[in-house]
Amino acid sequence: MTTAPQTIGSRARPNPLAKLWGSLSLVFESRIGTIGFFMVAFWFALALISIVWTPYDPNASLFGQNLPPNAENWLGTDHLGRDLLSRLMQGTQVILVKTRLPNGWVIPIGVALWGVLGSLTLGTLLGLNAGYRGGWTDQIIMQIQDALIAFPRIVLYLVVIAAMGQGDLVVILAITLTGAPGVARLARSLALDIKTRDYIRAAETRGESPWYIMFVEILPNARGPLIVDAMLRVGYAIFAIGTLGFLGIGLPPPDPDWGNMVNEARRFIYTNPLAVLWPSLAIATLVIGLNLFADGLREETTRYQK
Amino acid sequence: MARFIFRSVISTIVTMFLVSLALFLLVEVGSGDITVKILGVFATPEQRASYRAQLGLDQPWYIRYLDWLVGNDWRVRSRIGHPLVAVPNPQTKELEWWAQVDGQLVRWEMREGHLFALVRQPDGSVLEQPADDQWQQTPEGKEIFWGVNTKNSAVKWVRGEGEEVYVLTSAGMRKEGDGPQQYIPLRKGLLRGDPGTSLQTGRPVSVTLFPRVRNTAILAGMAFVVVMPLALILGIIAGINEGRLVDRAISVSSLALTATPEFVTGVFLILIFGIWLKIVPAVSVFLSDRAIFENPQLLILPILTLTAVELGYIVRMTRASMVEVMNAPYIRTAILKGLPYWQVVLRHAVRNALMAPITVIMLHVNWLVGGIVVVEAVFGFPGLGSYIFDSAIFGDFNAIEAAAMLLVSIAVFTRLVGDLLYTFLNPRIRYS
Repeated sequence: MTTAPQTIGSRARPNPLAKLWGSLSLVFESRIGTIGFFMVAFWFALALISIVWTPYDPNASLFGQNLPPNAENWLGTDHLGRDLLSRLMQGTQVILVKTRLPNGWVIPIGVALWGVLGSLTLGTLLGLNAGYRGGWTDQIIMQIQDALIAFPRIVLYLVVIAAMGQGDLVVILAITLTGAPGVARLARSLALDIKTRDYIRAAETRGESPWYIMFVEILPNARGPLIVDAMLRVGYAIFAIGTLGFLGIGLPPPDPDWGNMVNEARRFIYTNPLAVLWPSLAIATLVIGLNLFADGLREETTRYQK
Repeated sequence: MARFIFRSVISTIVTMFLVSLALFLLVEVGSGDITVKILGVFATPEQRASYRAQLGLDQPWYIRYLDWLVGNDWRVRSRIGHPLVAVPNPQTKELEWWAQVDGQLVRWEMREGHLFALVRQPDGSVLEQPADDQWQQTPEGKEIFWGVNTKNSAVKWVRGEGEEVYVLTSAGMRKEGDGPQQYIPLRKGLLRGDPGTSLQTGRPVSVTLFPRVRNTAILAGMAFVVVMPLALILGIIAGINEGRLVDRAISVSSLALTATPEFVTGVFLILIFGIWLKIVPAVSVFLSDRAIFENPQLLILPILTLTAVELGYIVRMTRASMVEVMNAPYIRTAILKGLPYWQVVLRHAVRNALMAPITVIMLHVNWLVGGIVVVEAVFGFPGLGSYIFDSAIFGDFNAIEAAAMLLVSIAVFTRLVGDLLYTFLNPRIRYS
């Protein structure tokens, strides 16, 4: 995984983005990984396109109600006469490329990704501390983590949303809270393994602080499994967002939500059964794509470790 | 081994305590004004304040947490001066609080400035006696009385200072004179089996929760019985045929099943079996409490949906574990020494390969719960999942907390069992 050999004494480090790409590009070595990458890339591309162009206004009732697919509306229309293709495209945005703040501002990167980033941050923070420091810190962190894992996810989502109301940030918080214990467990086991290495001894002898050792020595060496895990978590997050949308407590309007689209379409399933199919397929392909991508990545990163 | 079990049990108890605290804080402190949901948006601030006091919400959160967890009759007892007992109502069988005065069960009521004692007779009827001689003098010269009222609260009346209170009736809020100054709703506490009263229905949570739990237990239990053998067999078949067509077919379809959300699976099953083929009911319409026994085909689609959701995950798990075991040197040795292939698989590989899935399945109960909430929403099935969903939407904190604690204890308990099972199955841990 190392790139060009470094000359001794040079302080130049590879740029972190290039490093990340270095580990991600491995995925093209694997066939299923490549398939997964293109499935995910397809939805990302669609999300980016939908920012500048959708066939019609996704929230405008321009056509007849519950139309089957036709030349004008490629995927048909919903119960309010809105174009399903436009809504499907627009629905990708909130998941993957934008997050709406309560004051009306929009920040880049979607809810699913922010949620996973959140759980990754919180989880590695807890997990590295538990694994590297050990002792009481470990006991306490593991106990908190056990308590969080004991909550059935859906109960935690329901309780958080019931307590704080609907909104993009609340969904991000819910995903962060449910994801963090899993990440912490993984990060802890990685830290337990890595802290026995000689370079950690060396850093301790140099007198580096525990935080330096955790985040500069241990974390970069634990990144492979964490990245693979994060990919799977994005899938779970999209799943969770869909489920919440279906139950009617997910991402708020006006942006269409795939889960909510399924819920609306199932009420008209006699007249327009295909309307249920499109958002379902969208969720399934995106999640399968992420799964394949993660599988491919794992296959390639662990290939030489056996 | 004993040390390990001891540690697991202690850790489980601590976990449950942390969970109960976190849940209580999240639900009760985090949620907004519950009176908006119960009284509607047009209630006046006075009405809200009065109702909040009647619910005991004017007390600090840590007192309410303790009340919720271990009850408050032992705390309130010293104020009333008589032991408090919970007795079932002769008609509804729901528990009512009474004070035990000289062997008789008594409650009190204040009407037009006068105090009356309601003495319960052995046949369940109530005898009313004037009780104005029971007022207690305070140092400030007021006359006060602590008693149990007819709404199961310990209350403080002050003579001549009847508070104006608003009582919720079926026709709306009614203003009453002679109200108490302070309310402490009596409860036995979760640990003693009383989760409180549902704010949505006004009935004890324990009464309304039970049929829901039974329905869900039947649904989840049957899904489990269908899923387990099927998933393990498919996983083993895929695992011993690694890379062949059978394996590819099983792996791809289980991946597809895992990646399809429960609600999508449910909607498609309804479409295919309920609407196009019309062989099973598409929704679970419960006409009576026992509909599930009288009309078992109501369960078919929900069970199929849960099966589809769970199947993929367990198959993938078992397959991965089986593949790993089949590549182990001892399997190669067994094959090379000439054992029949099926014997190698059944006697050597399966035993080791099933260990990982079994413990993971125990952990997986949490996921199953998520599936159940969605499946019950899709089919309108009256179970624990829809109960917790409805309560969460309403903000009915007693109901959410009871249902959530039940789910958490199931999850924690199954994990404990999973841990112990793993220790028992794995000699390397058992003998260490």
